[in-house]
Amino acid sequence: MGRDLLMALTIVMFLGTGGFFISRMAPIIGVMRLARPTDRLDNVGQRLGFMMRQVFAHQRLMRMKLSGVLHFFIFSGFVILFIDIVDAIGQVFVPGFNIGSALDFVVDLFVTLVLIGIILAVYQRAVLKPERYHGSDERDGYIILGMIALIMIGIVLHESFYPFAAPVLFHVHPRLDPWGFLGYSVAQLWIRTGLAMHPVIAEVGYILGYLLDIGMVFAFLAYLPTSKHLHIFLAVPSIFLHKTRPHGELVPPVDPDAGMAIRTVKDMNWKDVLDLFTCTECGRCQAVCPAHAAGQPLSPKMVIIELRDAVRRELAGGEPLPLAGGVVSAEELWSCTTCGACQEACPVFIEHVPKIAGLRAALLEDGEVDKSTQKVLVGWDRQGNSFNQPQRKRPAWAKGLDFTIKDARKEPVDWLWFVGDFASYDPRMQHLSRLVARLLHRAGIDFGILYEGEVNSGNDALRMGEYGLFETLAQKNLAALEKAQFNQVFTTDPHSFNALRNEYGKLGFDRPVRHYTQAFLDLIEQGRLRPEPLNLRVTYHDPCYLGRWNRVFDAPRQLLEKMGVELVEMPHHGANSFCCGAGGGRIWMEEVGMTDRPANIRMREALTLQDVNHFVVACPKDMSMFTAAVQSTGSEERMKVIDVAELLAQAVGLDEPLDRVMAE
Amino acid sequence: MRLAVLLKTVPDLVEELALDEDARTLLFDEMSYVPSEWDDQALEEALIIKEESGAEVTVIAVDTGDVDTMLFTALAKGADYAVKIVGDFDAAMSNWQKARVVADYLGRGDFDAVLSGVQAIDDVDGQLPGLVAGFLGWPHASVITEVRVAGGSHLQLRQEYAGGLVAELETVTPIVVGVQAARKPPRYASVAKVRQVAKSATIDEVEADVAEARLAGVEYVRPVAAGHAEMIEGDIDEVVDRIVAILEERNLLRRA
Repeated sequence: MGRDLLMALTIVMFLGTGGFFISRMAPIIGVMRLARPTDRLDNVGQRLGFMMRQVFAHQRLMRMKLSGVLHFFIFSGFVILFIDIVDAIGQVFVPGFNIGSALDFVVDLFVTLVLIGIILAVYQRAVLKPERYHGSDERDGYIILGMIALIMIGIVLHESFYPFAAPVLFHVHPRLDPWGFLGYSVAQLWIRTGLAMHPVIAEVGYILGYLLDIGMVFAFLAYLPTSKHLHIFLAVPSIFLHKTRPHGELVPPVDPDAGMAIRTVKDMNWKDVLDLFTCTECGRCQAVCPAHAAGQPLSPKMVIIELRDAVRRELAGGEPLPLAGGVVSAEELWSCTTCGACQEACPVFIEHVPKIAGLRAALLEDGEVDKSTQKVLVGWDRQGNSFNQPQRKRPAWAKGLDFTIKDARKEPVDWLWFVGDFASYDPRMQHLSRLVARLLHRAGIDFGILYEGEVNSGNDALRMGEYGLFETLAQKNLAALEKAQFNQVFTTDPHSFNALRNEYGKLGFDRPVRHYTQAFLDLIEQGRLRPEPLNLRVTYHDPCYLGRWNRVFDAPRQLLEKMGVELVEMPHHGANSFCCGAGGGRIWMEEVGMTDRPANIRMREALTLQDVNHFVVACPKDMSMFTAAVQSTGSEERMKVIDVAELLAQAVGLDEPLDRVMAE
Repeated sequence: MRLAVLLKTVPDLVEELALDEDARTLLFDEMSYVPSEWDDQALEEALIIKEESGAEVTVIAVDTGDVDTMLFTALAKGADYAVKIVGDFDAAMSNWQKARVVADYLGRGDFDAVLSGVQAIDDVDGQLPGLVAGFLGWPHASVITEVRVAGGSHLQLRQEYAGGLVAELETVTPIVVGVQAARKPPRYASVAKVRQVAKSATIDEVEADVAEARLAGVEYVRPVAAGHAEMIEGDIDEVVDRIVAILEERNLLRRA
């Protein structure tokens, strides 16, 4: 009688919650089907390997120790939960079913780990209260933790009563197995208190435990589709479907009729939609976002949550709101530096930056962009640079040299130097450009530039959502590059480096592109430049578009080592570098709602390092941003911003004594 | 409400003016041209009126060179029609001549108001809107910073004066308005949108004859510097002595 009831109940719960789960999931899949295509089923082998490392080794999650460990406990419990489900349902449907002592032990071991994990999670949420949870649905978090805890209690409860209830319910006589140590210990309690002797109590205890376990599992299933904990189902497929195209490429080739603007959910690709529902609101992105740290109204997490909630409202029959400027405010969108720290931190590999750029594109199409930014966009379109300078002045920096740089459009060169706007026009960077030219000259490199044939690479225009302008600029450069004969492209600017390396591919360009830190390292290794030790203690700032987006972390560090420079790392370095605040067009935008500039935050981080008074950069925009940061933090006496090329020039004895370089 | 917005291109001052120092002429064909920024303000104000009260906006340019991109950009921003007045014109065409052909075209239509930039870098005294109004025999208001439809055939204008004074004017249509600034900064037209509009929209071409210019430019020369600032160098005592000497020279110092 009791067993029939349990069987019937199990089947009803299974069908009921299963059906409910499907009915809640179907609309989400429906939205994904409406969205734009994206190819995420290439390189299956590589995807599988990546997924295994992230899922079973928690590679990225472990970057935050406490969260990583507690998540691993709870996550592993879920894997083990399947053994328990088989065990519990098996006992009901097949009298005498037994998974064996070994698995009993494993289940109890993981029940213990999960419970420890839950205690740690509650401790983190209630006591540590990390800022990254700000804006997340905390109630949802506690509900889920509570449900998991009840399942664990249910497991132990029904296991402990099983030996006493089984004769009545299932007409079998299982022995009490000490390997299932939790059930065994609790059963000892029932024996000592005599509760085990009352068949009715044993029966009720067992059924209660079974319902807390299996019943709660089903309740969990029904609850998930409207919870942020849907990641339990979606994280693994999302990680499998991660981006495998060049990391630094913002968007794959854009359909010219559709453009890149995201106005409605249909303008996202289906992986973007999946991202929204995979987000666990953990806030790791928010914790690393430079705009958020600067007090601006942006949190990458909130962008995802706002978009997801908008889709949910639409699914529930609500009127669709405009996504750009409505669901996600223009201020949020224009705050992004596109540094990619959010994507680097996200444990489920959500791609925040392309969504933000797509939403910016929609704002731009409606003409909504501040005046100073507009001036830059128009300047790129008219003059090919952001300085509102005539195009013919682009090569003016090269005039102060005592040799002539080849015009790569007119004669073949080995290295074609793509100089970039800042290095060409900014008076302070012009000095650096001449220094780089002299270094190449000293190393005997046959190099040239495109003179007036070069325009801005379009990297930032694209990230501001101006795909058309990016294309126009890229095509102008490609036309000039096509005329030139060269073996490789050499760049001083990481933004140009990224565009040429990752974005021009979709327009047919596929020549090797190198950053000067990589190229200079080679020249030293080939013996073409022979630096003398500088004996300095420095710190190095990884530019976002060199490091994070292009994974060039080692070359600049090895270069410093070759120059006899001792590198002291800042807490945020390598893939976790902290953006200077200039990227994604931010350098030209109005500073709305900023309480602290990212560059100042970064400078203060460097100032905590003992006996380090050189801040080494490898990006013209960094030079500009951090020079200003040194001034506004009042640390001119304590810290000097210096380009890696300036150090090299000093190390190889080009006649630029360090103090003179500093003085300029 | 049918609004006409006059657009024109002017030499791009980012580049240097192409001046033939010997012949003392401007080399109009050797300069690059950009839309006049005051005209952008006029267009923005017209588009704001359109959004507020459903006006129909026609942008009009005289074909003195490549004006198509400027017209397509205006369409991309939200103008309804674009008209290019074509004829035997070139970049050297004077504002008086432009005003003449534009007024001829406007006189044949039934526009309620004409908005133009109040001035341009080649029209610093703001003749164009006044000339157009004169040719048409319409009223004219300049240095306007706000245009609102006040029901029926009335417009409310906001006009700026020196010293922070502002006037509210009410006028009947038709009228020619010289716009100093729109209520909001001009909107942006993305490259892709302009390109898309260039593919799908058309520019109406209207033929016109150019009138004989009444004034001819005699010569164009660079302004000659009248004098230079004197840089005072030396240590602090020398600098102080020099300053005192200068003040004495000019009788600006009274000794006790």
